Amino acid sequence: MPPLLQIDHVSKHFGGLQVVRDLSFSVEPGQIVSLIGPNGAGKTTVLNLITGLYRPDDGRILFEDRELVKLTPHQITERGIARTFQSLRLFLNMSVIENVMAAAYSHTQAQLWQIVLRTPFYRAEEARIRQLAEEKLAFFGERLQGYRFDQPAYSLSYANRRRLEIARAMATNPKLLLLDEPAAGMNPNETLELTDLIGELRTRGNYTILIIEHDMQVIEGVSDKVIALDYGEKIAEGSYQDVVSNERVIEAYLGRKHGNSKSARPPSTNSSTD
Amino acid sequence: MQLFLAQLPQQLVNGLTLGAVYALIALGYSMVYGVLGLLNFAHGDVYMVGAFIGYGVFSVLVPVSTPLIPAALVIAVMLLIAMLGTGLLGVGIEWIAYRRLRNAPRIAPLISGLGVSFFLQNAILLTQSAKYRTYRTELLIPSSWRLDFGVAQLSATRILVIAVAVLLMIGLTWLVQRTRLGRAMRAVSIDREAAAMMGVDVDRVILLTFFIGSALAGTAGVLVGLVFNQVWHFMGFTAGLKGFTAAVLGGIGNIPGAMLGGLVLGMVETLAVGFISSTYKDVIAFVVLVLVLLIKPSGLLGTRAPQKV
Amino acid sequence: MSVDKFGQDEWVSQVGTRRRDETRLQLFIRRLRELPRLVQIGLLIALPLALPLLTANDYVLRVAGLICLYSVLALGLNIVVGFVGLLDLGYVAFFGMGGYGYALLSSAQFNIHVPTLISVPLMGLLAAGMGILLGLPSLRLSGDYLAIVTLGFGQVFVQLTTAMNRVQFPGSDQVINLTGGPNGIPDLDRLHVFGLSASSVTAYYYVLLASLVIVLIFVYRLNQSRLGRAWRAIREDSLAAEAMGIPTNRLRLLGFAIGAGIAGIMGAIFAAWQQSVFPGNFDVTLLITLYAMVVLGGVGSLYGMVLGAFVITALPEVLRPGTQIAGMELAQIAFYGGTLALLTILIRPRWRLVPILAALAVGGVIIHAVFAGLAPDALLVPDEKLSLISNLVQHWLPIPLNVPLATNLGNLAFFAVVILLVLLTQVPKNARIFPLIVTLYLLAFVWETRLSKEPSTTNLLLTGAMLVILMNYRPQGLFGQRRVEIA
Repeated sequence: MPPLLQIDHVSKHFGGLQVVRDLSFSVEPGQIVSLIGPNGAGKTTVLNLITGLYRPDDGRILFEDRELVKLTPHQITERGIARTFQSLRLFLNMSVIENVMAAAYSHTQAQLWQIVLRTPFYRAEEARIRQLAEEKLAFFGERLQGYRFDQPAYSLSYANRRRLEIARAMATNPKLLLLDEPAAGMNPNETLELTDLIGELRTRGNYTILIIEHDMQVIEGVSDKVIALDYGEKIAEGSYQDVVSNERVIEAYLGRKHGNSKSARPPSTNSSTD
Repeated sequence: MQLFLAQLPQQLVNGLTLGAVYALIALGYSMVYGVLGLLNFAHGDVYMVGAFIGYGVFSVLVPVSTPLIPAALVIAVMLLIAMLGTGLLGVGIEWIAYRRLRNAPRIAPLISGLGVSFFLQNAILLTQSAKYRTYRTELLIPSSWRLDFGVAQLSATRILVIAVAVLLMIGLTWLVQRTRLGRAMRAVSIDREAAAMMGVDVDRVILLTFFIGSALAGTAGVLVGLVFNQVWHFMGFTAGLKGFTAAVLGGIGNIPGAMLGGLVLGMVETLAVGFISSTYKDVIAFVVLVLVLLIKPSGLLGTRAPQKV
Repeated sequence: MSVDKFGQDEWVSQVGTRRRDETRLQLFIRRLRELPRLVQIGLLIALPLALPLLTANDYVLRVAGLICLYSVLALGLNIVVGFVGLLDLGYVAFFGMGGYGYALLSSAQFNIHVPTLISVPLMGLLAAGMGILLGLPSLRLSGDYLAIVTLGFGQVFVQLTTAMNRVQFPGSDQVINLTGGPNGIPDLDRLHVFGLSASSVTAYYYVLLASLVIVLIFVYRLNQSRLGRAWRAIREDSLAAEAMGIPTNRLRLLGFAIGAGIAGIMGAIFAAWQQSVFPGNFDVTLLITLYAMVVLGGVGSLYGMVLGAFVITALPEVLRPGTQIAGMELAQIAFYGGTLALLTILIRPRWRLVPILAALAVGGVIIHAVFAGLAPDALLVPDEKLSLISNLVQHWLPIPLNVPLATNLGNLAFFAVVILLVLLTQVPKNARIFPLIVTLYLLAFVWETRLSKEPSTTNLLLTGAMLVILMNYRPQGLFGQRRVEIA
């Protein structure tokens, strides 16, 4: 079976800064792959490259064996890749359910005239995406249910906003979910719960997942494969145990053995947003 | 072709004058855009108010037909008072139209600026009526004072306009490149919040930016009055569009770009008017704007920073 | 799991408090909204439908038609500004394109007479097509560029219509009068459909009212649909919208084109109603007026558009000199009453209003007395024949008898008032009382000497000032939802 996503010798620079350097890895269908690395290692840039927000200088990105480079972000989403944002980019002044329903745009067809005349096709489609949105929100138990549907997104707590972002990404009917630091800003209990949820996304939701996370508990709990980046380069790939015991990874986080404590960046178990 | 070559030098001289004026207006747009990332829709009307302040000073100092004080001094006073008046007007505009909206949705300050623009036009309409007002420049600078190059003539008034514009641009470049204020302005334009945390008084920098940009527009207003003589309450609308076009042409937010854009636009417009038709004079700037946006939206000297997600 | 119950229901538990905080207007609107849909629609439709039965006054019907026309235009503009979040400053030019297009196709200008059922929809398509052409280069950049390109387009449109009465195509000696220049195009055909021809004011009123109802339903349905949701998502965060599979550029362009199309259709109807078109019908003044309607009504709100159009259309009628109520000028009542109402709203605590008004009254009378003592012959004398307000005012304000002098002083006072008002926003609250009193006194002087004499300019000044004040202090207008901007 071919990999679902294949990053093939991709590079990206901004001005003189090489953010991603000759990076290659792949994500197999059904896998949960984690991307780790110190701040500034280029993890979010990789996500931005996959989703088409940036265009790579070099290399290919293949999704189901088809080239993604040169597609616009919405076309990539249509192909079946959806993401969340590290810095939470909800549609704050829209209601919870509308946030999710809006993301169903790419797989709805109602045309202007059907909308204006409210044809049966249009009504059926609206009912369908409403149901879809409710289903996706139901993933999170009671939290985003009932009266919450019609509340504006800005009224949600931080953790609920993160959940809503995931629900919104799910509503695009993706095959691959890209989660950018989903545990950032969550308390230990919420983090624990999130770890379960990510597992469920795979088992119940059938999503393949690529996740960026600083929280090693989450990484350990969910990953089939871990890829470590430093200065835009892949320095290790393998199982969680292999990667965290890899010398270069430890070096990247803790600095070289002989001093230079300034650049020490320990992997935190209770990371904060940045 | 013969005719074209015969007229070309004179057209270039005319284009240079017009370009100097556009450059002064474009500078204000670019400075405010650089610091706030905002289009100041009222900027064209600040220029118009400058022209009227100049006219007012002129009427006081030259009540009948002889100036009360030496002509050179009259011009200096006109320019200074217009600069001060429009500079303060710019500060007032920042206070009431933009300050509260710095973090509002992008569309809010634009609408607010549009309201100010409309208010200023009608304030001048109310108090000055819709009549054209005439600068009687010949009372200050006799029209016989001119340089004659044979193929082209350069009147003293035009020399004055170009000289004042060039001096102001040199002064501004010095200010931005060499002074503490200039450094603060550049810092604010790169990252307002970071600049504030580094101890830059952001409010003051923004106010001064508005003051300087508006004063330049006010000067442009007086200079236009001196060269083209007629001013009226609606003149700022067209001029504002052209100043903006010049700023975009040069690369918005870029100060040397605004100067270059102004000159190029002035030249293009003058040549087009001279050799095609004057009926569609103001259409030309619009065509230039659309072409720039199609071909090189970052402008002649501008660069685009990568967008951070 | 009950992990994050803490803090979670804060917003919900405050619903009651927030409801109590709502103003009477909001309460009224909420009650209105809670009525059954059919009752709502019935209430909204019944009065306008019956209007021609209630009055035979053509003038009233014309104003009512104008309100309908402006409401439709505001609704179209609202799609662009309110839903998509773009600043379209060429909207009036699209309206004008419809008008001039209809004029060329339905007049003696080129002796073409196209049936209404073809010409009017054609104008919608034409304007929408033009919108796409203008939107293409600028929309892929930033919204600011669209604003300036459309503003330029609006200006170019007016200039072209003014200049194109003598068009000479290259290679031809013939000079063609395309637009009639400043004189416009007269004697347009009336709207005629299925052998019926709209000829009376009442007929056009019904045409405009029907357009309003149709466009209201159209916009309402759009807003509820996947398109409306996508537009709002783009307005909220276009990058996130794009990442969620929404083709942001195409949908922006679509919204922009729909707005332009509505303007084009209404332009054609307007031209047929007026039976002529002039460049001046489509200038910046109308643009600002429409923006004032949209902003006042509340960007994004449909009821708001109609109310905004109503208020802004009624404003010049109120300011029009000569309209009297109980022997007093309506405009004068509106000015003094409006100022008083505004003060009552703005001044907190309210008792402070009492000393301010008292000081204003006493101070004014003293100042008047001083001037009357110094130059008794130079002032307007109170006259028993004048209305009550005018009489009071002339005991309180020293207005020079000499009209040019009064005008010049009024102009100076106008600038003083503007400067004082700007400064007032900058001084600390407790230092405002004295300058406020001076400002109000001067304002009354400006009103009596200048503003009341130039009602149309006053109207435009108010429109401009309203845009600034609303954007700064009440960006949601009367009916809009206040938007939250937090990270």
